Amino acid sequence: MSGGSESTEDVLTVSGAVRQFQTPEGTWLRALDGIDLAIRNNEFLTLLGPSGCGKTTLLRVIAGLDDLDSGTLTLEGRPLDDVPAHRRPFNTVFQSYALFPHLSVEDNVGYGLDVAGIRPSERRRRVADGLSMVGLGDLGRRMPQQLSGGQQQRVALVRALVNNPKLLLLDEPLSALDRKLRGQMQIELKALQHKVGITFIFVTHDQEEALTMSDRIAVMNKGRIQQLATPFETYHHPANRFVAGFVGNSNLLGGRVVAADRGDLKIETEGGLTLIAGGAGFAVGDAVDVLLRPEFLSLAPVVVGDVAPTLEAQVEQAVFVGSEIHIHARTDRGLALMVLDRTAAGRGDGTADVGRVVRFHYDPSHVHVMRTGGTP
Amino acid sequence: MTAAAVRRRRNLLAGYGLLVPITVLLGTLFLVPLGIMVVYSFLEPGVYGGVSWSFYPYNYGRILGWPIGGGEEFDPVYLSIFFHSVLLALLTVALSLLICYPAAFWVSRMTGLRKNLILFLVTLPFFANLLIRIYAWLLILRPTGFFNVALQTAGLIVEPLQVIFTGTAVLIGLVYVLVPFMFLPLYASVERLDPILIQASQDLGATPLQTFRRVVLPLTLPGIVAGSIIVFIPALGNFIVPALLGGAKVMMSGNLIEQQFLKARNWPFGAAIAMLVMASVLLLVVVYVKKVARRDEQTGGVGA
Ligand SMILES: Nc1ncnc2c1ncn2[C@@H]1O[C@H](COP(=O)(O)OP(=O)(O)OP(=O)(O)O)[C@@H](O)[C@H]1O
Ligand SMILES: [Mg+2]
Repeated sequence: MSGGSESTEDVLTVSGAVRQFQTPEGTWLRALDGIDLAIRNNEFLTLLGPSGCGKTTLLRVIAGLDDLDSGTLTLEGRPLDDVPAHRRPFNTVFQSYALFPHLSVEDNVGYGLDVAGIRPSERRRRVADGLSMVGLGDLGRRMPQQLSGGQQQRVALVRALVNNPKLLLLDEPLSALDRKLRGQMQIELKALQHKVGITFIFVTHDQEEALTMSDRIAVMNKGRIQQLATPFETYHHPANRFVAGFVGNSNLLGGRVVAADRGDLKIETEGGLTLIAGGAGFAVGDAVDVLLRPEFLSLAPVVVGDVAPTLEAQVEQAVFVGSEIHIHARTDRGLALMVLDRTAAGRGDGTADVGRVVRFHYDPSHVHVMRTGGTP
Repeated sequence: MTAAAVRRRRNLLAGYGLLVPITVLLGTLFLVPLGIMVVYSFLEPGVYGGVSWSFYPYNYGRILGWPIGGGEEFDPVYLSIFFHSVLLALLTVALSLLICYPAAFWVSRMTGLRKNLILFLVTLPFFANLLIRIYAWLLILRPTGFFNVALQTAGLIVEPLQVIFTGTAVLIGLVYVLVPFMFLPLYASVERLDPILIQASQDLGATPLQTFRRVVLPLTLPGIVAGSIIVFIPALGNFIVPALLGGAKVMMSGNLIEQQFLKARNWPFGAAIAMLVMASVLLLVVVYVKKVARRDEQTGGVGA
């Protein structure tokens, strides 16, 4: 085992993966609709997407529990398609944990070692090490039904980890936990991944979870990967409207480029706003989607260079949460804007009182412009 | 006592209260006749049926070889009939298990209407009279029956096979009659088996055979045990099937008892056979359940 991520070569590649299911009405539903994905050694890759977008299906296909209709999987260059699940060096933490109810915690954890014929002494050691790693050292003799949800989840995790898989597949393993335990487990999981140096593929539909834990995020929708990028890229430079809307809070406006001059764009949006933005590769007349994160709109000017553009809107709701003010505003032509302001939070001078028409400042370099319908 | 303790106590009493009707029913309908049988088995048979009221352990001697006296002689034929019956009953259990186990998996994979239809079909035989159903088998299995005609037409045999009035016919009949009793508990336990557990086992590297031994078998074992017991007991005591399909050649302990009660009119001897059969069934079932429970513990333990 090795820590860190010294190697960036691909462990697993998925290419052209298609999996369809027949619906009761007789039509076909493409749960996976042409997935291309290369998973790097030792990375923490998250599959993020709304319910029903194909995350579990992709994970099951990788694990070998489900077959592809077309496309291929390769593990370190060797095709994997004819390798049955039990011979793939991957282990899964199932969303429902799937602990064996007739086996004790110890025997659940030792299951993979038992079927692999590991010597009893080594099996005992690895089971004990694994259990104590997640703080369940004393609970080995319990039956799964006698554990809390969080404890069961750890057992499921260790049961997969003790086998030293090349890939650990985690299907929303934290979704059943309460908020506090969940936050704690997020940190523990990330630390654990660093310690054991195993590649993690982690499924979630919680964008915050994805942002905090991942090395890279694959945002999925309707059986396709919308964007594969680091959390920072995903948040600040989403590939399209879907990613921008799914990850983080956003003001998303459709529009058209009306002037383009060496990377400086002028965009007219729906609702009659004119926005100044930066962005290369666009020409006058291009249909675009514009993303303005709420935190990049502020009450006080953020002067950058010689331009300090503003948007005018009426405050409809303002919530003071200490370090910042959450404002919902509406332009005179009825466009809703979300603002997360930090500049006026300390002033308390009534600038953001409900009903007032205010100017929101923004920095053109923070306006993210995407081609309409664009994919990576 | 705290309020909670009082409430718990009251619940417990209410629980016992609910058991009263069934206890009375079973007590009168089961225990009293059983007591009569026990007493009868130790009485001397009267010359023209009936009993004379004196202690007479020799009914058992006639079967077991000891004690002997009172004009009774040990005849090993009774033991041999008993062991033959046990063998037939065990074969019945094994065959029904073999038929029902895969079928239970097959049905549990079905959906909605088809599944309910199959479950209905399994219980369908109960709607028809048992005698008629067994008589139908007589027609099927006799030398000029459907079975032999079909084989002859297919050119597989020249002379009709003598199946009827053999142990094979009795076995076929017993399996036919008792298969639903095996299927239903087995199906219930297979249905309860979560497929995700099988996938988890595969995912952890277990071959199909290992998955079967370590996950599927232990988790469906309760159904196997229940099914085996409720098939074994009526199979051992059955007398209609051997009477109709076994003819004069195959006699099971059920027939023997029936014969003693109804034909020989030797109630004490019939009661003695019945007592011995019952005792052995109890013993066998207890041993079986104990053994399975131990096995279950082992599969739950290290390196099963
Ligand atoms: N066995 C199946 N038979 C038919 N349709 C299926 C089957 N498995 C999945 N689907 C369909 O495929 C699509 C993708 O399902 P999948 O379970 O991969 O979604 P998911 O992204 O994991 O969603 P969630 O976040 O809710 O778990 C869904 O529309 C689902 O209804
Ligand atoms: Mg899912």
